[in-house]
Amino acid sequence: MAKKTYDLLFKLLLIGDSGVGKTCILFRFSDDAFTSTFISTIGIDFKIKTVELRGKKIKLQIWDTAGQERFHTITTSYYRGAMGIMLVYDITNEKSFENIVKWLRNIDEHANEDVEKMILGNKCDMSDKRVVNKERGEAIAREHGIRFMETSAKSNINIERAFCELAEAILDKTSGRESAENPERVVIDRKNNDKAPGYNKCCA
Amino acid sequence: MSIFKARVKEFEDIFSKDVIDLKELRQLTFNGVPDVQSFRALSWKLLLNYLGPKRNTWATTLAQKRALYRQFIVELVLPPGHNGDNENDDDELRGVALQDHPLSEGPESKWNTFFNDNEFLLQIDKDVRRLCPDISFFQQPTDYPCDIVVHSKGERRLHQRVVPSVLSSANVERKGLGMTKINLITKRSAENYEAMEEGQEAHWEVVQRILFLYAKLNPGQGYVQGMNEIVGPIYFVMASDPDLKFREHAEADCFFCFTALMGEIRDFFIKTLDDAEGGIKCMMAKLSNMLKSKDLAIYEHLRSQELHPQYYSFRWLTLLLSQEFPLPDVVRIWDSVFSDEQRFDFLIKICCSMILIQREAILENDFASNVKLLQNYPPIDINVVLTFAVSLT
Ligand SMILES: Nc1nc2c(ncn2[C@@H]2O[C@H](COP(=O)(O)OP(=O)(O)OP(=O)(O)O)[C@@H](O)[C@H]2O)c(=O)[nH]1
Ligand SMILES: [Mg+2]
Repeated sequence: MAKKTYDLLFKLLLIGDSGVGKTCILFRFSDDAFTSTFISTIGIDFKIKTVELRGKKIKLQIWDTAGQERFHTITTSYYRGAMGIMLVYDITNEKSFENIVKWLRNIDEHANEDVEKMILGNKCDMSDKRVVNKERGEAIAREHGIRFMETSAKSNINIERAFCELAEAILDKTSGRESAENPERVVIDRKNNDKAPGYNKCCA
Repeated sequence: MSIFKARVKEFEDIFSKDVIDLKELRQLTFNGVPDVQSFRALSWKLLLNYLGPKRNTWATTLAQKRALYRQFIVELVLPPGHNGDNENDDDELRGVALQDHPLSEGPESKWNTFFNDNEFLLQIDKDVRRLCPDISFFQQPTDYPCDIVVHSKGERRLHQRVVPSVLSSANVERKGLGMTKINLITKRSAENYEAMEEGQEAHWEVVQRILFLYAKLNPGQGYVQGMNEIVGPIYFVMASDPDLKFREHAEADCFFCFTALMGEIRDFFIKTLDDAEGGIKCMMAKLSNMLKSKDLAIYEHLRSQELHPQYYSFRWLTLLLSQEFPLPDVVRIWDSVFSDEQRFDFLIKICCSMILIQREAILENDFASNVKLLQNYPPIDINVVLTFAVSLT
């Protein structure tokens, strides 16, 4: 078996309605490319990417799930092992945003209680077709106390950051330092914080 | 005579008979159908039971089914207030408009149905646009567009109903006497899948209509993602039939072949039947058991890595391998799968072979490499896989 080339292994999961861009987001993150035509995900897909965070090599094992209801029995069995979950909606699709609540409920039902979550409003490059404004995304994230970012897999906006923030949050938790170091960390504010110390170390 | 010519001759012979010997046909097609004449399209029509073995029944069956399909389009594809051929039928139009308009919410409202349809249509739309992206076939215009759809200023094109601007702003105007007119704003998306010119349509639009009609006619099941991957290869075969008399009717013929095939694999697509006999979990278990009996070492290795069969075999089996290989290989696989009277025993053998062929790599690999290997099966000569599968008893 291959030699262990990482210090930590984090299992992440991407969920959200069909067509919001989960597969594109993952592809952008793992292969730094965008193809506008992906086959739809049937069941569950898988990618690996290793990032460096605070001097630690972290292997991210990322599961990309199918969005349609039919696949939920297959995909919810993966929630349990996940340490971080990305909930994705499409800013040009109202329904996908409304369903975020449904996806959150799914997480409550099937995932570990302390799973780290993050909401992504994807396709933010399509401003002319936008129907969900950023404030609504922020509001729902605040309401549930989770992180939020708008992303574009196409224009490569915030994709790497999103994964790294999620990974960092998990790291905080695993090393048990979160409250000690940063008691009042209001995660939503971090999105404007491009030059936050420590951020550049991640995935640089 | 070359082997290829000999094979062609065998097919010529079998199709020249008045009554096709299905058993013999199955034996022939099991080894692959030569890419000439209408052999493949015709074989599939017979193997899927769309056509019966008696040649003299074909003309009638085809004529009836094709007329029926056209009827489906007239009744189910056109927006309410249209009845296909006679557009000037003002009375009828007004009759509908009087009691029924887009804002009436009664369950009987045709408009209510129309908007409900749009929900699954939206899903179909996303998927047909993502069908076989590595080849350009589905983006090409068909030589045989559906006449009653393509001459409608876009109005009867299904995808025009679900472009975001249409969904969010079906403009309702009232005129005198409760007469309601809808202005579906038809702003076109400037993406790759640009709407064709009036009078033309792309193959993906045809596939969209087939799936839409299937979902309408099978409301208990509706549309489930992945059905696009089942209809795709069938449509491809029918729409590239060298015999233009057949190709012209690719849409209708494909619809009935697809419906027949779905009759056999429908359960894979129904969540509540996952655990039932014939459901997808049962299929995955069959594969798993076969693997266990053929090669315990590899079975145990995957198990110890907690690499559950559903990570790869769910998609393999649900889609009859259509996402795992390039289209020509998929078509070749389906020749064999459709010839299998004990459907889907041979499919399971193929899947099992795919794992066994990668034996050495799998035993070496860690969990992640193995998932990748099985989810992105490496390029391979498909005949190697099929020959291996035949050798499994
Ligand atoms: N403009 C724009 N389009 C995007 C972006 N991300 C994805 N898309 C488009 O959205 C479509 C769907 O993307 P996918 O990644 O396949 O969607 P998915 O969430 O994986 O969908 P399922 O596999 O069906 O659950 C693709 O055809 C892309 O072209 C983005 O950031 N910007
Ligand atoms: Mg996907």
